[in-house]
Amino acid sequence: MPKTAEIKTLQNTGSKTKTLISPAIATLVPVIGFALAIHVYSNELLLTYMAIYVALAQGVNIMYGFTGYLPFGYFGFFGVGAYVSGLAMLNYNLPPVVAVIVGGLGGALVGAILSPLFRLRGAYFAIGTLAASEAIYTIVANPSLQSITNGPYGLNLANYYSSGMAYGSAIALVAISIIAVSYVRGSRFGLTLKAIRDDPYSASMAGVNVPRQRFYAWLISAAIAGMAGSIFGWATSVFYPQAVFDSSLSVLAIVFALFGGVGSVWGPTIGAVLLYSVYNAIGISNPEYFQLIYGLVIVLLVLFAPRGLLGFWNFFAQKIRRKRVTND
Amino acid sequence: MRTKALLASAAALGVTLAACGSSSSSSTSSGSSSTPAAPAQITVGTTYSGSGAYATSSIPEYDGIKFWVQQENAKGGVFVGAYNKRIPVKLVAYNDLSSATTAATQYNQLITQDKVNIFIADFGSVLTAPAVSLAEAHKVVLFDQTGTGIPFFTPQNKYIVLCDLPVSSIWPDVLAKFIISKKIKNIAAIYDTNDFDASQATTLKSDLAAAGINLSYYQGVPTSTTSYGTLLQTISAQKPDAVLEFGYAANDTPFLQNVQSSGMHFKMVFTVFPGQLLGLFQQQVGNAGLQYTYTYGTNFYVNYPTVTEGLNSATFATDFAKAFPGQLNSLSLDGYNTGLVVQASLKNAKSLSQADIRAGAMAASGNMTTLDGKFVLNSEGAQTGELLPVAQLFPSSTGITLKAVYPASQATGTAVYPAPGA
Repeated sequence: MPKTAEIKTLQNTGSKTKTLISPAIATLVPVIGFALAIHVYSNELLLTYMAIYVALAQGVNIMYGFTGYLPFGYFGFFGVGAYVSGLAMLNYNLPPVVAVIVGGLGGALVGAILSPLFRLRGAYFAIGTLAASEAIYTIVANPSLQSITNGPYGLNLANYYSSGMAYGSAIALVAISIIAVSYVRGSRFGLTLKAIRDDPYSASMAGVNVPRQRFYAWLISAAIAGMAGSIFGWATSVFYPQAVFDSSLSVLAIVFALFGGVGSVWGPTIGAVLLYSVYNAIGISNPEYFQLIYGLVIVLLVLFAPRGLLGFWNFFAQKIRRKRVTND
Repeated sequence: MRTKALLASAAALGVTLAACGSSSSSSTSSGSSSTPAAPAQITVGTTYSGSGAYATSSIPEYDGIKFWVQQENAKGGVFVGAYNKRIPVKLVAYNDLSSATTAATQYNQLITQDKVNIFIADFGSVLTAPAVSLAEAHKVVLFDQTGTGIPFFTPQNKYIVLCDLPVSSIWPDVLAKFIISKKIKNIAAIYDTNDFDASQATTLKSDLAAAGINLSYYQGVPTSTTSYGTLLQTISAQKPDAVLEFGYAANDTPFLQNVQSSGMHFKMVFTVFPGQLLGLFQQQVGNAGLQYTYTYGTNFYVNYPTVTEGLNSATFATDFAKAFPGQLNSLSLDGYNTGLVVQASLKNAKSLSQADIRAGAMAASGNMTTLDGKFVLNSEGAQTGELLPVAQLFPSSTGITLKAVYPASQATGTAVYPAPGA
């Protein structure tokens, strides 16, 4: 083998190994972290919710980070997942873990039904998804549908309650969502999504089937939210429609993703873990200050780190690298 | 290679999930019945809504609990029957900002981190819901203040006690009887599509149907509804003899404001919350908008001179007003009454185990009268003793006076029907 070809082969192998190792680390670190955290801090529900928010932030990441579509109504899929899985348990006696998967499918199905919203762009799309999710909430909570959804009376899953299993499932969902983002980021599919995000017309001219690729990303994102909602409902066990169709869920997931940095694998995980920890640390003592801090964080983020913490980190890393090159 | 990496990730995930699964079983507390040495203090844990949709109702309830703690600590603590002595009370409270999700994590914090002896839920069904399963799973008794939702009370759940109100589905029983007694036939009902209000509307509808009265207008609206103008136009077209609105305080207020601003006059207007937060409604709706309307007459307006636990109505009104000026209302009475239920449970309990505390509450059932009326629990821990009379708001020299008008046994005034000007 000629020397140059040998070097190229070695370089390719090194780069391939790197592309496999870094997603594995990005998946395993939070998974092991959550698994160990319960031995240090026994508020299992708080950790379950944190894991759910990590998954939601990754779901937002797939949608917004890779396609540029901001789903303000993301909570709709979450609520649908909670209801579909809850009803699957109550009506068909499905094991909760299977019901979580069914909840994810329910989220994806509603995602497919709402796909015409892609005719809208920017703020119109964001408002459109918000309105659609509010409509779903109103339908689910409607007393006329009591025989199907139990209307405003919510669901009682106390017979299926298992905090350990729910927590384990939440960790599994974290892994699934990060693996999904890693796949999207490193695949041809991810490249087409980025091309669509940057310039849908050019991408279309280059032969990318823009609606179909966006639709796939939308389905993955909706399925993650559906499963997150399923686990939330299972872990909370007794809930009303307003608890799972809560617009603040979307707001938090979006802020967590933006805070960490969208378009990356680590960003939403770091954002969700950090901000949700801060939320609860302050929330345990004086949560009224959280809203002030939350507001300040968003303002500072927009002003100084529009690409999130990872964008900030990359900026400084590049600066240091340039300085080193100059010194050399 | 990619598959191998994914398989390795999956294997590691399996190991970690197994690890966390084993931890969960050890993290739950058990309800041991052994009686160790008396604790230095009894820890009471709760959450309250310092802001948000439920703040106006939650804060007075929390004040009522604080007042009870102050009262007991002034005597050296709450009397614990198992140790035959008073033990000081420590109150741990977190602000859940009216968020059910935040409340859920804080409830878990109270149980798993603070390891409270007494676990009290926040106001209302929405914020109580996340506490129900947590309490049951950790075998901790949930002292449910005003979460009157039907799903909470099941035969298998032995860890819940409803303290201050009957379950919402029986609230309108007396109201239905009043309507039947007045021979009112053309009735319009509007309700919010949440458990608390929808269950009342359903009960009223079935009670009236049993008497051969069908509602001419029966409409559910989202709980977020704050504008009733169009709905009132539709209702007005039916020319009803009674208009009933079942909502939370945040709904009742705009409803009454809209009735007043529309210039419509109905023979009877009923809303839920003025009887619980009269001062607030006087500020927000005004006396003119409230006069001759009907509401539930809570026990706040009934005088209980003789009680078996805690302060009587008059002493509570005086002492509470001194401790928390301007905060006295029906919900602060509820908060104080929650303390009295806890007090009775601790007095009767044979140990501080949660099972014995629940048994203590059941022992008090039927044998305790407080300033909130007769305390009676059914086997599921649901309150059935404190039926709410129908009350009417009358103009008076001080602005507005609430008088119970039905049933006759609890009446302090006579109903004016139809309302003047209708």
